[in-house]
Amino acid sequence: MAASGGELGGVFDHHVQRAVCDTRAKYREGRRPRAVKVYTINLESRYLLIQGVPAVGAMKELVERFALYGAIEQYNALDEYPAEDFTEVYLIKFMNLQSARTAKRKMDEQSFFGGLLHVCYAPEFETVEETRKKLQERKAYIARTTKNKDHYVTKKKLVTELKNTQDFRQDFHSETSGCAATLNTSTGNSDPCLPYSCELPLCYFSSKCTCSSGEHMDRASNFSQDGRNHEETLEHCMHSDSLQKIRVKPFKNSSVCPGAQKAITSSEAVDRFMPRTTQLQERKRRREDDRKIGTFLGTSTSSDEVMIGPLLPDLHKVDMHDDSLNTTANLIRNKLKEVISSTPKPPEDKLEDVHTSRPLKQRRRI
Amino acid sequence: MAQKPKVDPHVGRLGYLQALVTEFQETESQDAKEQVLANLANFAYDPNNYQYLRQLQVLDLFLDSLSEENENLVEFAIGGLCNLCPDRANKEHILQTGGIPLIINCLSSPNEETVLSAVTTIMYLSSPGSASHPELTAMPVVQCMLRFSLSANTRLRNLAQIFLEDFCSPSQVAEARSWRAHSALGIPLPRTEALQQP
Repeated sequence: MAASGGELGGVFDHHVQRAVCDTRAKYREGRRPRAVKVYTINLESRYLLIQGVPAVGAMKELVERFALYGAIEQYNALDEYPAEDFTEVYLIKFMNLQSARTAKRKMDEQSFFGGLLHVCYAPEFETVEETRKKLQERKAYIARTTKNKDHYVTKKKLVTELKNTQDFRQDFHSETSGCAATLNTSTGNSDPCLPYSCELPLCYFSSKCTCSSGEHMDRASNFSQDGRNHEETLEHCMHSDSLQKIRVKPFKNSSVCPGAQKAITSSEAVDRFMPRTTQLQERKRRREDDRKIGTFLGTSTSSDEVMIGPLLPDLHKVDMHDDSLNTTANLIRNKLKEVISSTPKPPEDKLEDVHTSRPLKQRRRI
Repeated sequence: MAQKPKVDPHVGRLGYLQALVTEFQETESQDAKEQVLANLANFAYDPNNYQYLRQLQVLDLFLDSLSEENENLVEFAIGGLCNLCPDRANKEHILQTGGIPLIINCLSSPNEETVLSAVTTIMYLSSPGSASHPELTAMPVVQCMLRFSLSANTRLRNLAQIFLEDFCSPSQVAEARSWRAHSALGIPLPRTEALQQP
């Protein structure tokens, strides 16, 4: 099952294009007919082998076509590689694996100068160091993605628990112990993970503290004690379960602020990690708060008006120094007022539904 | 390798995977089994699917398939394991359900891809330096890797070298080398074949 040739530049089994499978059950047929093949990180590579390139001196065009998918580190023709008559074989090395994967997916079986290209990976060209790096990157990618997912799932739970201040403390401790367990047992050797995984509990802290302004005062006092130890404890966070030592810097300043403002600063602190739905809810809440404030101060024109996006400045009368221009401007202004005032909408359920609201559409055109 | 569009991410994907698992368990056709297993193994490449795969016990399915007669099934199964084992939770599951001997067995396969996937899986299951699971760096394994590191097959050679450098201590490697010198197994490697473990 190994190479017939064995040396670099010879034909390998994984270069050979397999027949597409035509006996698949309907429910699992893909969009394109494909062979039965499993791609592992071993098979994938930054090196792509391209067969079936018509021998018309089109190397430059070929490379340009592939360069659409990512930066190419090097390329060369493989003259010793067995090729059909009037075709050439090329080797292209991409700067990163993802570009190679995309290029392979898109360019395989594509027509090029009248011929059909066959693109496959060529991992045998990798050096030991490149292979090692490839395996490590794969591991790091998985660690990143699954941590993100864990965080997102837990974040969703946190948001729904915002109302639930009773269980606050219990949940908090179970979350942090769960988090500690995650950090403790994760592989300690991967340094890139270290700052990331340490930021995870920071989010837990900041999000938990938006829950109730009553509870936060106790924590704030704990925070300020060890605030300076942030840097040192960062290294230890992987090995100890003293997550309580990890401090959030923004909190030092805002510990005496009222609850609403604190919610905003903490949400800015967690901006990086907030999943989209939470951001939408945040914005919604802020809008409501602003609106409430606006109503108090009397700045909002009508409590029924839907406000999305920045407020329009008041249309003060500008003199255009020309009668006809002024007339036109006034006509437009009056028309606007007419249109805006003629279509009042119920505020609550239209908050997300910008597109169907006409006054807002008008605004956007201008 | 591209999958269908994620129209309804959670219900659709889980349902589809469930259908695959069911077909695998019920079908009589070897072809269908191969196709489904390959499909699952490719799904195992994407970390977004891991929770579903664990839920549907696909990891156990892969481990069980390592004992199949059909070489393609073994190749796809170990490929699937290789794809998903870098994930911590999956790794724990494999280690706890006694997957190590099955994976080590794959090192003896005549199928190149199977051997490569097995080597990579073993690497992902061990943590470098620490001896969390000594079976992964047991003498037979290290000896096998030593032979692989002299292979004419570049991919195998590279992987074996990484294993010996990053996952074995120098003393283990030295010991394996000295064992080789004394045993009758010091047979020169064939030019083109990946070596099998006796």
